[in-house]
Amino acid sequence: MDAKDILGIPKGVFPSVQEKKPRAPKEPQRKPDGVSREVYALTGGVGMPPLMPTIEASHLKRRPAVEKEKVAWQWLPFTSSARADSLQLYHWVRVVNGAPPTGDYHFAKYNKKADVLKYNDEEYEKYLTDPAWSREETDQLFELCERFDLRFVVIADRFPTDRSVEDLKSRYYSVTRALLIARARSFDEVAGNPLVKETFNAAHETERKRALSALLSQTKQQERKDAEILAEAKRIMESRAASKHTEEAGTLVSFDNATLAADGVSPLSNAHPSSTATLPAAVVNNSIPASLRMLRVYLRTQALDQMVQEASASAGLRVIKRVDEFLHRLGVNLKPKVPTKAVCVEHLELRNEILTLLNLQKQVQHKELEVSANRENSFTEAPSTPKRANRDVDRPFVPDTVGFGGERAGKRDHKRKIALWINLFGSFPASTFTKLLSLVEAVLGLCLYSASALRRLSLRIHVGR
Amino acid sequence: MYGGDEVSAIVIDVGSYSCKAGYAGDDTPKAVFPSVVGSIEQTGETDEAKPDKEADTASDSKNGTKPMDVDKAKTKRKLYVGQELEFRRDHMKVISPMKDGTVTDWDIVDNIWNHAFRQRLLINPEEHPMLIAEPSTNTGQQREKAAELMFEKYKVPALFLAKNAVLTSFASGRATSLVVDSGGGSSVVAAVHDGYSVATSPIGGEFLTDCMMKSLESKGVAIRPRYSFKKKEISPGEYTVVDLDLPNTTESYKLYCMRAIASDIKESVCRVPDTAFDEVAYANVPTTSYELPDGQTIEVGADRFKIPDILFNPSLSQTIPGVDGFADSMSVRGLPRMVIDSVNRCDVDIRKELLSSILLSGGSSSILQLKERLEKEVLEESSGNTRVKVLASGNSVERRFSVWIGGSILASLGSFQQMWFSKAEYEEHGVSYIQRKCP
Repeated sequence: MDAKDILGIPKGVFPSVQEKKPRAPKEPQRKPDGVSREVYALTGGVGMPPLMPTIEASHLKRRPAVEKEKVAWQWLPFTSSARADSLQLYHWVRVVNGAPPTGDYHFAKYNKKADVLKYNDEEYEKYLTDPAWSREETDQLFELCERFDLRFVVIADRFPTDRSVEDLKSRYYSVTRALLIARARSFDEVAGNPLVKETFNAAHETERKRALSALLSQTKQQERKDAEILAEAKRIMESRAASKHTEEAGTLVSFDNATLAADGVSPLSNAHPSSTATLPAAVVNNSIPASLRMLRVYLRTQALDQMVQEASASAGLRVIKRVDEFLHRLGVNLKPKVPTKAVCVEHLELRNEILTLLNLQKQVQHKELEVSANRENSFTEAPSTPKRANRDVDRPFVPDTVGFGGERAGKRDHKRKIALWINLFGSFPASTFTKLLSLVEAVLGLCLYSASALRRLSLRIHVGR
Repeated sequence: MYGGDEVSAIVIDVGSYSCKAGYAGDDTPKAVFPSVVGSIEQTGETDEAKPDKEADTASDSKNGTKPMDVDKAKTKRKLYVGQELEFRRDHMKVISPMKDGTVTDWDIVDNIWNHAFRQRLLINPEEHPMLIAEPSTNTGQQREKAAELMFEKYKVPALFLAKNAVLTSFASGRATSLVVDSGGGSSVVAAVHDGYSVATSPIGGEFLTDCMMKSLESKGVAIRPRYSFKKKEISPGEYTVVDLDLPNTTESYKLYCMRAIASDIKESVCRVPDTAFDEVAYANVPTTSYELPDGQTIEVGADRFKIPDILFNPSLSQTIPGVDGFADSMSVRGLPRMVIDSVNRCDVDIRKELLSSILLSGGSSSILQLKERLEKEVLEESSGNTRVKVLASGNSVERRFSVWIGGSILASLGSFQQMWFSKAEYEEHGVSYIQRKCP
């Protein structure tokens, strides 16, 4: 059957294996440099390739290698063990040395049939009677199963009376199961057999097929309506989720991943709203990030990481470090060891509470410093003229109408405002904060404060960072 | 070929329009000839095997074979098969052995087989196993008759009957598909699941040809059959047509010849329209010209699209004057409808697979644009969840002979050799055993 067989060519080793050897020794026999190729050839250069390929006479006379075995192809009859009778068909056979190959027909081994059990009368009487099925029908069913190798669709088509595929299947499986159990000496023997372990659930099958046929036979209109309804439902869920978020801002909200009916349409599962963007930075919510929700299946540790990141995105590196330190002090792992849903929720809550605590602490500090700074400033306010002069020069737009007392009040006001600003924007990262600081300086003017107060101000700012 | 083992089986497929026969393992059948026979009744006389009157000069000249004799109870008739039909003979009627896709006259089939074996393939049927392709809707009785004929008369060593749809499915390499076979006599839609045909509907190419003819006639074009005229040379290069008067020609033969011409027109000119045919829309479509054998040139316009659309919308045939409608026109449905009905009759689980592998086969499936139009129509009727794919081999030869090619593939497989119904089994179990052996 191989081409080489037909042509009678010996099936030798690959020729490429043999070619590698002679190539190595060829290299050293190249022509010497400095002499042109033709000149070297004139001298009869050793090792140069010949101008004309020589044909050795010995090669010509030699016959091709005589085959050790004589191969002929003959038209011979054959039988196959897969056949019940002894039909003799003819085909071409590779005959070696006059002896045809022995052994069964090459394709007989592909004759596989399904194992269909056969019952006799008494077994039928004892175990297999069923009100809905007559003996003849059961016999016919088993015969067809044998013929068609348990292809139930075809069997249902050829069955003389009208029975559904599930009907036939359930009868076949129940009969086989009963037979197996009855024939086995103990139940344990056959308990491993899948036929015994799982029973055929005809009702489920019928229901499934009904649903499938309903799905397949939907007209275009119905499909359009279905799609519309699903889109509506999605929109409603989105709006509900959004309203929930706005209500519960400042407290932790946890969502469950909405379980969706698998209707073969999945627009609802994607794009569940991520409504986190609008919340003020200090508040963290626990909604599962949209990107993860897209996946439908994700690791909770991933989700946790993302949520933690989100929460502390607005907090700055220092704050993050402080939170971690806090957790460490409390004896809580930075990442929960067993990340179940409840644990993760609690962990996040804890983190958020720590954040709020730190924030509040900062605010308290600021207020205290403010108060103390006010007290101090009231002592060092007297030498104000040089500052005033400076003030006029450096800062054009602070209103001059403010009197001294008012100035102090204004100063206090301003300071308070600064303090407030600093508090509000206290969670900005360092770079913008320096910018803000310079802005603050520009607005207030160096001359509004004594140098010491300014120092104190910068100190306060330092502390607050 | 690792799966193949040639046992020199013969594959024979007698269709409603043409018969194909050849060796298994070949790409195409060796012998293709029309599956109609000409018969001349000779009442009363003992047969003189003298050849008939060849009174015309306009026909081809080769005819070395003798006509076959058939003994019938009262009348003897000589049957002419194959190339012999090319001749015009007096009183020769053209009859077809099939009606609606099933065999009605076994004598004729016998003759056709004989002609195929002895004259075309030049084999001795006793030495070769036979694979016969049968219609997907064949009854048990028909199969038994075929088996009997084969074993008793031709003494074949082994036999197998395979359904057309299953063979087409194998020819395209699939075990499960929906086969739309639009051949000469009828269009049949059959579902094949795992190599067994599961469910099976009658508009065929012949009918379309008839419509074409009638339509042309109604427009005043007279088609002259080839035998009925002769071209006489008046001056070098110029010919005039002279009508020959041959009164003894039967009507059926005349019809047969005219049909041949009309079907040629149909094959070369017709196209399936992209949407349903509409008289008004296509009234101004540009015409194509076609030259008839006698030199006349005709223009075919809207008919180009109307005729193939009959496959999709059978009621269009009513609008052509002279075409007799179907016996019960309500039950005749267009092709897309037939496809959907066939699919819905099958089990739910396999429907999806069936719709995504619809195979086109048969001579009439070579009409241009048929595949695209069918795909579009079935897609519309089915739900949006399923993928509809209509497949047709690009080669028109393959489409015409796909049944035969499937048989050739099947009979040359190594693992098929255990499935033959052998003579020994026939003698032991009787002819009804074939129902078991050939599912």
